[in-house]
Amino acid sequence: MNTVLWIVFYPFIAFFIGIMYMGYSRKFNARVERRYGPSWIQPFYDIVKLMTKRTNISHGWMHDISLLMLLGGTLATLMFIPVPGFSYFAGYGDMLVIMYLILVPSLGMALGVGETANPNGSIGISRALMMLAGYDVPFVLSFIGMGMLNHTTSMFDLIQIQQSNGIASWGIVTNPLLGLAALFALQGMLGEKPFEVYVAPHEIATGPMSEMGGKFLGIMFITHAITIFLELTIFINLFLGGAFTWIGLIVKQLIVFTLVLSVNIVFGRYRVDDAMRFMWKIPGSLALLGIILIIFQQLRS
Amino acid sequence: MKKQITQRNAWDKVLAKLTKRSLWMLHYCTGCGAIELPPTMTARFDMERFGVLPMVTPRQADLLLITGYLSIKTLKRIILSYEQMQSPKWVVAFGSCTINGGMYWNSYATIKRLDMYLPVEIYIAGCMPRPEAIIESFTKLIQRIDEGKANSWKDYYTNYDFYRKNQERVFGKIETYNDIKADGEKFDIQQP
Ligand code: SF4
Repeated sequence: MNTVLWIVFYPFIAFFIGIMYMGYSRKFNARVERRYGPSWIQPFYDIVKLMTKRTNISHGWMHDISLLMLLGGTLATLMFIPVPGFSYFAGYGDMLVIMYLILVPSLGMALGVGETANPNGSIGISRALMMLAGYDVPFVLSFIGMGMLNHTTSMFDLIQIQQSNGIASWGIVTNPLLGLAALFALQGMLGEKPFEVYVAPHEIATGPMSEMGGKFLGIMFITHAITIFLELTIFINLFLGGAFTWIGLIVKQLIVFTLVLSVNIVFGRYRVDDAMRFMWKIPGSLALLGIILIIFQQLRS
Repeated sequence: MKKQITQRNAWDKVLAKLTKRSLWMLHYCTGCGAIELPPTMTARFDMERFGVLPMVTPRQADLLLITGYLSIKTLKRIILSYEQMQSPKWVVAFGSCTINGGMYWNSYATIKRLDMYLPVEIYIAGCMPRPEAIIESFTKLIQRIDEGKANSWKDYYTNYDFYRKNQERVFGKIETYNDIKADGEKFDIQQP
């Protein structure tokens, strides 16, 4: 019974927390630029407005279905992420499942944007998939590294191992190189600058979103809110020892998110090939180095 | 004839309270007035306080800001952009050039009155209006949305023949990509 309740309400909780982070990011940017900034729940107003638009233009059924794929893929991934109080599905699917499912939303978006036949959208989506190939390398390598270090691929076991011994057993302490690589990958996954190449409002008119209006854009916003929650939680579960309570989780998420936003606000945008090269060169080699260290450790012991 | 609904119900009022806080604008920088927009957006006057945010494509925008004189060539693009926007949508016309031609009254290449071609919600008078005036117009628009009076966009659906006639007088036959009347029937848009 408890599990059923969690399955129903977990997406809503993730959505509301995610939307708070979206508001926080806009307020944060405004305050750094010495503006007063919008209200804290501005993204909520935006989503209400988008979902209650009177007209909607659909470019065919693929366009409609792709957004369901976007939202559905994100929700499916969310179910496999253990959080305090809910780890039912995490027992059935390990990190490899998450690695697969996290690709579904991008592919869904690619199908739908292709259907709208907007050149800006096509450029945007090709950049998004290129960025995906970029940040997936350090992301997957740090996944593999953590798995090798702890002899498990289950995210739930990883959390328990990290919680066994306080801060000293957190992933970021036992293997800082992998943690750093994953932090870079996180920046790319959240689409913040300097890896914001596929939104790029001044360059390609928000890329994948350029032909989306009304409810379509609303669903994209909802998905983005959930994605923020999801990706921050993955990072925390892998490297910051998960969390015992929801308060602890939110505090950790806020700290990591503030770090990401602070990088976002001071950097410009990379060119897409530069972003890709950076992702493979620096975080990629950091992660590789981390894995090599782990292999040596394990050979010696 | 169908009974016209004049009373707004409670749900509409709640929605108006929420949606008025989020207006995304597409600024069509045609005239000199556009130079007043950067200070309005950035730290000095900060229009994001009111939830007004610049957006880049017409599909996402609710607000079309027309900043100054409109040449006949630009008008055609503006009409195409306007028809791509999703309702409810509002046009804010900026500067005396859009009201009566302003100092381009004698020009052969500009139009004089914008509201012959598109339904204008709010005019900002002045040549050129200061950022305070722009902010004032946004708050005015927010107030009108709250009161349920900002319905000029419905006019384009119900009174399309008038606008189309004027547009064709300027351009001759033009090709637009949306069937406005069919859309209006599909989404059931009538004057309140
Ligand atoms: S009203 Fe004045 S400032 Fe505005 S476009 Fe016309 S001439 Fe320029």
